[in-house]
Amino acid sequence: MPHPDRPAPAPDAGRGLARAAEGPDLSVSLGRLRLPNPILVASGTFGYGREMAGLVDLRRLGGVIPKTITPHPRRGNAPWRTVETAAGLLNSIGLDNDGVEAFVAHQLPWLVDCGAPVVVSLAGATAAEFVTLAARLDGLAGIAALELNISCPNVSHGVDLGTDPEACRVVVAGVRAATRLPVLAKLTPNVTDIVAIARAARDGGADGVSLINTLQGMAIDWRRRRPLLGNVVGGLSGPAIKPVALRCVHQVRRAVGLPIVGVGGIMTIDDVMEFLVAGASAVQVGTASFADPTASVRLLDALPAAVAELGAGSVADVVGTLALPAAASGCPAPVAAAPSPVSEAPPHAR
Amino acid sequence: MASDALAGRSLPYPCYADAARVERVPIVAHRRVGERTHRLRLACPTIASGCVPGQFAMLRIPGRVDPLLARPLAIYDTYLAPDDTDPRGDRGQRPFVDFLYLVHGKFTTALADVPAGAELEIWGPLGNGFRDLPSVDHLALVAGGIGQTALLAVGRAALTRGASRVTLCWGARHGAYLADADDFRRAGIDVHLATLDGSAGLRGTVIDLLDRVFAPPGGANDAAAPGHVVCCGPEPMMAAVARWSAGRGTPCTVSLEAPMACGIGICFTCVAPIRDASGAWDYRRTCVEGPVFDAANVVWPEATVWPETTSTGSQHG
Repeated sequence: MPHPDRPAPAPDAGRGLARAAEGPDLSVSLGRLRLPNPILVASGTFGYGREMAGLVDLRRLGGVIPKTITPHPRRGNAPWRTVETAAGLLNSIGLDNDGVEAFVAHQLPWLVDCGAPVVVSLAGATAAEFVTLAARLDGLAGIAALELNISCPNVSHGVDLGTDPEACRVVVAGVRAATRLPVLAKLTPNVTDIVAIARAARDGGADGVSLINTLQGMAIDWRRRRPLLGNVVGGLSGPAIKPVALRCVHQVRRAVGLPIVGVGGIMTIDDVMEFLVAGASAVQVGTASFADPTASVRLLDALPAAVAELGAGSVADVVGTLALPAAASGCPAPVAAAPSPVSEAPPHAR
Repeated sequence: MASDALAGRSLPYPCYADAARVERVPIVAHRRVGERTHRLRLACPTIASGCVPGQFAMLRIPGRVDPLLARPLAIYDTYLAPDDTDPRGDRGQRPFVDFLYLVHGKFTTALADVPAGAELEIWGPLGNGFRDLPSVDHLALVAGGIGQTALLAVGRAALTRGASRVTLCWGARHGAYLADADDFRRAGIDVHLATLDGSAGLRGTVIDLLDRVFAPPGGANDAAAPGHVVCCGPEPMMAAVARWSAGRGTPCTVSLEAPMACGIGICFTCVAPIRDASGAWDYRRTCVEGPVFDAANVVWPEATVWPETTSTGSQHG
């Protein structure tokens, strides 16, 4: 379903140009990845985009991140695959997908035509599989960036690559060498020091990090003495995890010179603004799309007024503007050269 | 691993939510109709006028994060006026839609307290519904627990399309759960009931009831046998009905009751193991590729204890 009337992607659209009459400039940059606005939809919570075409005007989104693809088809985990918990959702889907070749043949052409920047989420069991996937996708038209899912808690190895700094660096460096596309690394919060992992992603050549994937959790039916998830344990998402995600964004923003995409429990425009102020250059709407299929565009509608409320002329001017109390504890010292949300890297290749 | 046949699976599937709408709509009536069973009427013209029998909608209580997600409820029937007890007029002109639900978890417990006049969030109509059901002279509806909610509209539609007989066989734990069975009777459907405790109808399971109502095939009363069985209820019950139907050589269509988080195909929660033409199985999303499937294509659990003695599923209610 091509959209002949869709606005042409505007990778260099007027950041910094004062357009007061039209409201704040919503465009953002994460290194060389330029996006029309900061509202993306998170992998695993938006199908392959096609499912949402009747409910959401995809052309409006800052980016669509389809469900993670793997080198080969995966059936995924046995039901039950999700359980609702207090203000949250526990899932163990298990990367159910038809594999990269089916994605390239059946899903990608539609996504490229949908009118939103497409960030393809990848997962492999090994660094070599990540590299193979990245190489397969390099050069295909219409992909804005890759997001490396090195943090899925529901498959073996997924978290392993995201919990060890050196393993993370090796994966990112391998992918970096295999593609010209901007690369985001999606990190797990299930680590003692997420700053160390983010530094490793930076050292591997990542253009940015997506913070955070789900927190490992569990739910039990005590009457039957059984776990509720078919996979026993899963990943927690939704409003319950937002404080954890904000903390991770804050710490990485302060300590690592790398653009951040914030994700975790974003339901309201207040949530979006909190992530921007904490230091995320863009955000991903995830579980909220389950609770309200139109959540992403609803938040986009509310964004200009919220940015204007801060007196800012652009979203970029809001990013990382958190005011900290003097000598606050729990805040790593900022890196010497505070990162600008816009790097000097060349414009992305689209 | 998924079968090779999957690699050629083409998009789009027929039942994405392309015609669905997300709306906030008022409750025009909300009352208790049976044991832990409530009936909800919403003023929802786009969904009421656009749905087909067997489809469902997602309902959510606005402004809350606990319960966070919507729940799928079968569209029971559609109505022309806010106080109509039976459908009348053209389906496409009816603005009201009814849902019956069982209170068994935090969402349905909270929903039962939302009064008439308040609003709910809803998206639908969703799923394939009974689009491909063949026309038969005698259609059997087989319901377990609250599964009758998916069957009233399809039974009514079969009679409208020329079936000479529609029979409902409905089993539940106790007679107090058999709410609003008169809806089926007034629609012209023959109603037969069974309860595990014998408090209403036959004492036993719905399989016992099926054996009682329908003579063995090939016998003197074979003309009374149904040409098709449509079933909705708990999975072990549906598995038993699928076996019962297969044993008689009667085609059986089931509406699967899988827990769902989104209802629109984006979360991959509600999967069921479904065989393709080659006989290989893969997990399919019951929301966009179902919930209605040919029972012969469903990979039923090998061994299940049914009826169950422990109440389950509260996390999804």
